[in-house]
Amino acid sequence: MKTLVLVSHPQLADSTSQQFLKASLPVKNVTWEHLESQGTFDVAREQSQLRQADRIILQFPLYWYAAPAGLKQWEDSVLTRTFVYGDHRFPLTDKELGIVVTTGMPEKAFQRGGAEGLTLDAALAPLAAVAERAHMRWLPTFPIYQFSYLEEPEKLQLVVDYQRYLTQEQPDGLEQRQAWFAHRLPAMIDQLPPEQQATGRLIQAEFEQQKDDIEALADTLAMIKEQEDD
Amino acid sequence: MTEQAEWLHTQIKTLASQQAQFTDRAFWVALDKLIAEQDRRHDQLQGEVDGRTWRPDRW
Repeated sequence: MKTLVLVSHPQLADSTSQQFLKASLPVKNVTWEHLESQGTFDVAREQSQLRQADRIILQFPLYWYAAPAGLKQWEDSVLTRTFVYGDHRFPLTDKELGIVVTTGMPEKAFQRGGAEGLTLDAALAPLAAVAERAHMRWLPTFPIYQFSYLEEPEKLQLVVDYQRYLTQEQPDGLEQRQAWFAHRLPAMIDQLPPEQQATGRLIQAEFEQQKDDIEALADTLAMIKEQEDD
Repeated sequence: MTEQAEWLHTQIKTLASQQAQFTDRAFWVALDKLIAEQDRRHDQLQGEVDGRTWRPDRW
């Protein structure tokens, strides 16, 4: 799967959350691009990148319940009517659109009666409408609330949750999570120092065994349920 | 937590703490959490299989 990450942030170098996310990017199959550093957009190049991606991620801080102006400029230049739907070819059909949004306010603020008074889904409705018009699949949003208040365990979790949001199959169920880790484990073990590799392989074996056991149990259960229906 | 699960958790925790790169540490810590989730799911499925198999009406 190829993922395209489009970041909109007017002061990227000063943003600790954006620098953190950049350092967390998976090494393979991800293209990262900062919109504001482009000046004018090479529309043909941007559209070609969109065509090649399977999952497109729009990543930005929430400014006044919307993305920064840079993303809107990109939309207005690159997402031309002809490209998105005008010629009835719909080149973005079935591509997934995900939103990574950072906020200065906590999660509880984004609800009716909360300090912000609206949900993130409501604030992001115009982007969801674009996705629908383009026949794309809208992914559940990936919000990062108050990054600067996160402690180390939360930041560790964020690294992998973010990587999974960029590259893991949807929906985000146990089966998909297991597959994502199983796929990465061999390379992670290979890069361990030699004295740690045996432990790595042992953990992998236990993990794979548990994965197989769960599958077998799920099969048994399906069989029992089938018989109960008879 | 079973004895084996506890042992595995300790192995992963130790391995994670030995990683110099933050992103590498994150991988092993997240795997530890996933394995805990596997344990829970395993118990739940096993419980459901046992429950559905226990049919006194068919004794």
